[in-house]
Amino acid sequence: MNILGISCFCHDSAACLSQDGKIIAAASEERFNRQKSSSAFPIQATNFCLQKAGLTVYDIDYLGFHEKPFLKFSRVILGHLEAYPFSLGNFLDTMPCWLQDRLIMPLVFKQELGYEGKPLFIKHHLAHAASSFLVSPFEEAAILTADGVGEWATTAYGLGKGNNIEIFKEIYFPDSLGLLYTAVTTYLGFAALEGEGKVMGLASYGKPVYLDKFKQIVNVHPDGSFSLAQRFFGFNRGSRMYNAKFIKLFGRERQIGEEIEERHCDIAASLQKFTEDILIGITRKIHQELKVDQLCLAGGLFLNCVANNKILEDTPFKEIFIQPAAGDSGGALGVSSYIYNSILNNRRNYIMSDAYLGPDFSTENIRRILFNREIKFKELGDAELCRYIAARIAGDKIVGWFQGRMEFGPRALGNRSILANPCNPGMKDLLNSKVKQRESFRPYAPAVLEEKAGDFFQAKQFSPFMLLAAKVREDKRSVIPAVTHIDGSARVQVVNKEASPKFWLLIRELENLTGVPVVMNTSFNLRGQPIVCSPEDALNSFEDSQMDCLALENLVVERT
Amino acid sequence: MLCRKCVLPENKPDITLNTDGVCNICLDSQKKGTGQSGQVLPESEVIKILNKYKGSGKHDCLVMCSGGKDSTLSLYYMKKRYKMNPLAFTFDHGFENEEALENIRNAVDILGVDWLYYKSDFMKGIFTEMLKSQTKVPLCHVCAIWYLGLTLETAKQQGTPLIVAGWTKGQFIGEGDPGLEYRAMSRATEDFVKNHLRKIPPYKDFSASIGEALKRARRKIKAEIISPHWFLRYDPAEAERILERELNWQAPKSSYPRGSTNCLMNFVSVYLSMKNYGYSHYHIEMSKLIRMGELSRQEALKMLEIDFNEDFIRGITGRLNRGVGNKDEIQTGL
Repeated sequence: MNILGISCFCHDSAACLSQDGKIIAAASEERFNRQKSSSAFPIQATNFCLQKAGLTVYDIDYLGFHEKPFLKFSRVILGHLEAYPFSLGNFLDTMPCWLQDRLIMPLVFKQELGYEGKPLFIKHHLAHAASSFLVSPFEEAAILTADGVGEWATTAYGLGKGNNIEIFKEIYFPDSLGLLYTAVTTYLGFAALEGEGKVMGLASYGKPVYLDKFKQIVNVHPDGSFSLAQRFFGFNRGSRMYNAKFIKLFGRERQIGEEIEERHCDIAASLQKFTEDILIGITRKIHQELKVDQLCLAGGLFLNCVANNKILEDTPFKEIFIQPAAGDSGGALGVSSYIYNSILNNRRNYIMSDAYLGPDFSTENIRRILFNREIKFKELGDAELCRYIAARIAGDKIVGWFQGRMEFGPRALGNRSILANPCNPGMKDLLNSKVKQRESFRPYAPAVLEEKAGDFFQAKQFSPFMLLAAKVREDKRSVIPAVTHIDGSARVQVVNKEASPKFWLLIRELENLTGVPVVMNTSFNLRGQPIVCSPEDALNSFEDSQMDCLALENLVVERT
Repeated sequence: MLCRKCVLPENKPDITLNTDGVCNICLDSQKKGTGQSGQVLPESEVIKILNKYKGSGKHDCLVMCSGGKDSTLSLYYMKKRYKMNPLAFTFDHGFENEEALENIRNAVDILGVDWLYYKSDFMKGIFTEMLKSQTKVPLCHVCAIWYLGLTLETAKQQGTPLIVAGWTKGQFIGEGDPGLEYRAMSRATEDFVKNHLRKIPPYKDFSASIGEALKRARRKIKAEIISPHWFLRYDPAEAERILERELNWQAPKSSYPRGSTNCLMNFVSVYLSMKNYGYSHYHIEMSKLIRMGELSRQEALKMLEIDFNEDFIRGITGRLNRGVGNKDEIQTGL
């Protein structure tokens, strides 16, 4: 049974292929077309998924889409009508898209893929819920989803049991925590859908002194739900998500590139705290009602690892599962799982224990590219490679690490990573200046051997997908300063020996050299670009930056 | 001296090497940013084309099948990967490799597809003329003109306007400019056909180029020609593994380039091209594949190594004497 899940035409388009319930391949289109957060039809991602499984579209039994387009259209059109005449510009901009593809999806599937069957349309938040619960290790769990907006829903909760999911309640547009977070992100001078993570990082530098103001723009109800005071927002009224009243309340908006002031940090901290408090309130209510100890989270809001950890720490839930593509790209995964497990009533037989579902490239293929580009390299065995690269990292070199199958989701988890020494206090600045060109307030993440995580970090639970923040133990903060955020937290990824044997071995070799089983891990991309997919992408990034060394599978390229 | 990046030698005025030993074609490709690895078009593009023809006639497509790995894989893909009902079509000018024919027999039996086998001595006479005249025209060029015309004619007769070939991404077939690499060979071909061949009555209508053959044929049939290899990653070793496992395909004992299954006259064509130009059409194909990242220069050089000698070539050209009414050995200039 081959099922293809597709998400697109919003942001982070992706495709996912399952065979008899097991996820065989999944990837975001941005990695192929090299347009960050691409919303384009995932033609290359789909081609990859099919070819990885040795299939063509003729072998696909079911094709599913991550939302119900007509339901979404009803929200869009009503939103435009409500905001008329201020919405006219937006209306004229977006209508052609709806008419030429979004409302004629079966035709799009036929035109783009040659798929002639009847596609299935799964509600956006149901797809999110499925993307988490159905690939989780839990037999029963509460599910909470939250993002900007799907069709109408912005937040939903329900219960997953066996292979079924029941959604109990939804909060509808325009009441959206995701949109609130994005609105403030843009107010703080960062790009929507890209800058939310920056705001989360910035929050640690501020104090939540604007909480009262957030309470004025968002009403929190006794049942934990919330509503946005629309007089402060303008979701359909032009290019800005907030309006003059919002600016009057919070002060002048920050323009892109302007200096970050204390006020901006405080607003970020307040937003983060306010969001966390609402999520904690909702999850406590869910726990009271459902009385289960496991929780599955999905939706773009739960890429916020700090909030995720707060939910874990401050609610009675004992375990949380969040899969690595928690944002919209995960909709493709949710769709394929939901069709197989819930619609077709098949028992669950897949747990998402790693994110390595993307393309891989053989050493032979990479060797050929290096030969043709006349790039000198050396070839090492696995153990030798890990020893060699560990020595380079220990020697404060910045290493591009390109191994195996690309990760699904926005995090680089040791297959498309840039690695560095976490013990060097100056490494963050070095990495910023030589490669990443990031804002100085953004932290870098540690990847730690799973069995040693507790020695360095403190948390109720660790995530293999970098989706739960943790506290760095007091006595270790000076040991790994480059990955310890200003507030003593870190976005930890625990590395399991079975799931990532080579990455695990590399960190182990690093531990042998430095005594620290931690490596500094950031995504293998340059500023403004998607994470690398192919060896050529990796080589291009290597050439366009000042990375010291690049390991493409077992072939090592040094900067000369 | 070969280009340092691909496997083309200098052949002025069309191919020149710069002071770093890199040819103008590689430099041009770099400048245009073409030749990145990966497929030319996504596979969904081929599906869209196939969908247009599926179920449109007795057969969905005509697959040009020589028994070599690329064309046999095309036949396999059409039947198994794309669930088409193909008609296999083989043309034999008398120099078809026995092992290749056996491969086709196995493939059509195992796949259960219809097979049209066309044998003709038409090309024998042309080959004889070419060798006698000691022209610089590569034999394969003229043969390609013939078989494309023949295939299109057959497609018309069979009512299958979709023609599927086994061409790699490095093989140029079209009506436009074939590129600098082919220019000298194309000019020689055109010149030979117009000024020599067409003066011989059976060949007076012979097309002077592939472009002309396609144009003429398209007046009679609106055919589309595709190759699945244009849409998929090229991996000769994997292709052989699939064919051996699924279709009982056997690699021939002797072939050029290494690992292919080309006809016997191909050896002669390559031998003469090397003598006349210092490279063959395979050097051009492989250079393109190198630029696309589908082959390394080292792999190409290995595949292009010549391990046959003049005696072997004489053995093949000797077969031209049979059936053309000439008792004496043809003077080929070898």
